[in-house]
Amino acid sequence: MVRFFLTFLVVLAVLFGFELTPWAQDWFVRPWTDALAAISADIVRWFDPQVIAHGNILRSSRNGFAVAIEAGCNGVEATIVLVAAVLAFPAPWWRKLVGLAVGILAVQGLNIVRVISLFYLGQWNFDAFEFAHRYVWQALIMLDVLIVWLLWVRTLPRGPALAPA
Amino acid sequence: MAASPGRFILRVAAWLPPAFLLWYIAAPLLAWPVALLTAAVAKIGFSSIIEGVEQQGRMLTIVSTLKSTLASTQNAASGVLSVDLNPGLYSFGFPMLVALTLAARQPQMLRTLLLGYVVLTPFVSWGLVAEFLKQVAFDAGPAVASQAGFTPAQREAIAFAYQFGTLILPAAAPAVFWVLTHRRFLGEFANRGADTLAGGQ
Repeated sequence: MVRFFLTFLVVLAVLFGFELTPWAQDWFVRPWTDALAAISADIVRWFDPQVIAHGNILRSSRNGFAVAIEAGCNGVEATIVLVAAVLAFPAPWWRKLVGLAVGILAVQGLNIVRVISLFYLGQWNFDAFEFAHRYVWQALIMLDVLIVWLLWVRTLPRGPALAPA
Repeated sequence: MAASPGRFILRVAAWLPPAFLLWYIAAPLLAWPVALLTAAVAKIGFSSIIEGVEQQGRMLTIVSTLKSTLASTQNAASGVLSVDLNPGLYSFGFPMLVALTLAARQPQMLRTLLLGYVVLTPFVSWGLVAEFLKQVAFDAGPAVASQAGFTPAQREAIAFAYQFGTLILPAAAPAVFWVLTHRRFLGEFANRGADTLAGGQ
């Protein structure tokens, strides 16, 4: 357990430090954030055709309301936590890869739900938007990470890593 | 015996709304120890730039020793820089910890939650101090930043501490604490899965 915890912290710090580099921001974080806005707009247009994406901004041309997807709202940090937890846990590499693929899909899928829900919550009530944006969705995304990781651990063969001391 | 994943997730979902409601109502009370710890950190580590920490309800204000604008031959220096901070931005993981702990139904839940609050409070202070330093170093303008006299390396460290304290710690620290304090529950949870994988029950 100690080894898992220390490995988790090291991988987390390294990945987060890498995410903050200008190279990672230019080649990964900003393109991914823009893609997230575009995917969210594509989904929303199924039932609300007056929504457009421009860069990292999701905007309603009906009432002008817009949300900008910034750091912390693009799911990148939650994904980094998941990647660190999966990589640090003792398991065969193929199981780690499967866990990462499914887990990242689950985290980013819920993050799209977050973006879209906040987009409409903000049009309805700005106080509710602020509360959900600042507190509730942040916790829900990390809960998603934790539950995805727990379910992945559950699929692993019996091991001593989490056994009580 | 550990819960099935579905039941556990449902219990977490059921506990989350009341946990958030209680956390929001109790925010002024929960912020009091945070204010005390932040004031202690300021006194020990940043006494040259922080005058004090004040609490107003759920909000904290860090009062600096730095002048908002420098004195010139035409104008006297104006008042000191104060930064209003919201501890809730760094403690929203506590209701998540409450929901997870109550859903896991392990012995000594209250003790775990009290320990969790004690363990997580320094991370909240980290976020508050880092946000204050970020304001001084980057947002309040060159007149303020020059009084603080941060070196380039210190500015980099402040930027990293702020980003880590904002984007990672508030959500990840409670989750890690819960994992570390629920190893028996997680062991049962994982082993049941292993039995299923091996063709058992």
